[in-house]
Amino acid sequence: MAPTASVASDGEAKWEFSCEFEVNYESAKKASIVYNALIIDKELQPDKVKRVMSVSDGKLSIHFEAVEARFLRASFSAFVDVLTLATKTIEEFGQELDF
Amino acid sequence: MKKMIALGFEGSANKIGVGVVTLDGNILSNPRHTYITPPGHGFLPRETAHHHLHHILPLVKSALETAKITPKDIDCLCYTKGPGMGAPLQVSAVAVRVLSQIWNKPIVAVNHCVAHIEMGRVVTGADDPVVLYVSGGNTQVIAYSEGRYRIFGETIDIAVGNCLDRFARVLTLSNDPSPGYNIEQLAKEGKLFIELPYVVKGMDVSFSGILSYIEATAEEKLKSNECTPADLCYSLQETLFAMLVEITERAMAHCDKKDVLIVGGVGCNERLQEMMRIMCSERGGRLFATDDRYCIDNGAMIAYTGLLAWAHGISTPLEEVTFTQRFRTDEVHAVWRERI
Repeated sequence: MAPTASVASDGEAKWEFSCEFEVNYESAKKASIVYNALIIDKELQPDKVKRVMSVSDGKLSIHFEAVEARFLRASFSAFVDVLTLATKTIEEFGQELDF
Repeated sequence: MKKMIALGFEGSANKIGVGVVTLDGNILSNPRHTYITPPGHGFLPRETAHHHLHHILPLVKSALETAKITPKDIDCLCYTKGPGMGAPLQVSAVAVRVLSQIWNKPIVAVNHCVAHIEMGRVVTGADDPVVLYVSGGNTQVIAYSEGRYRIFGETIDIAVGNCLDRFARVLTLSNDPSPGYNIEQLAKEGKLFIELPYVVKGMDVSFSGILSYIEATAEEKLKSNECTPADLCYSLQETLFAMLVEITERAMAHCDKKDVLIVGGVGCNERLQEMMRIMCSERGGRLFATDDRYCIDNGAMIAYTGLLAWAHGISTPLEEVTFTQRFRTDEVHAVWRERI
């Protein structure tokens, strides 16, 4: 299910800034709903920021890599906004999803 | 048989709305919330998206409660795919993607401009009019022909509503309920007509030069007390609306249609409606227009248009539930308009 990360042709050194985090939904179903909702939007500047997501054990893992700190900050903050919306939507309307 | 019901999400500009509609055009609920910026300021994508993020889920709750339905009653979820501002559009798209998976409902992507047209048609009963679509982001003269809404004329730079909004900022008028409404009220007190550039190019119009001109004129003439802010609002409205009436009339002559429908946020301006009504009556036609409940962006228009498409077998697979800042009116195949 996890997408594969594309390796930059000019080596890994370029992707100096990275960030990793995880959200535990304690439900494979809920984690995959959020994954499916957020995987659709690609990063707007793939030459500057990469995002890789995966789901396992009821958890959603997100890994960001960027060439400059400001790109990482902008992408991360925009992503957290929609991640929060997706999570709140499940909390509000998806409580019966218990598996 | 149970009536088909859709839940629609609109958030392409500074309004976030959620509406519940049946296929016969009955609006069961249509709550919305507007992001209002301080006088002198416009709305920016990031801040507008934050506003939408904050209000969307309470709006879903309220739309369902007012319509007295549960998620089980819904046939499809509809959202604005574009055109509009990217970040605000994403909010509706993400909410719909999640709800569709929770409730196990199909999704229908909707073109915002086409939704304005269909909402206008169902509310007014106009069957096959020339449509003037005027808002903060769009200015188009449209007529239906062979499966699509064709654009006969449009702005070549900024939208008419954008011109009005930005002039309201120059005068630091309030953005509540909307800058255009406050210009309209102030224009009623205007007495002196100040000549402004009049820019019609064939079927198209241009507003950015008029805006630059009046911005410069305003500063100069207000300082020397040659005119009042009301005179400027009056002159600007008269000039812009005369241009719109001219290109609408030309489109009517081209397509041999008698009726005009005005949609979009600027469409609730009563002076524009009055000028258009005079032109229509001179040509033996009728003007169809709606008030702010339907003219201004709302969720019901998205729900209704999506439901028309859904009833004709159209839906959008989850992986294609994207959004786009550019999405022209004539890209949509309006299958529901084709007579079988």
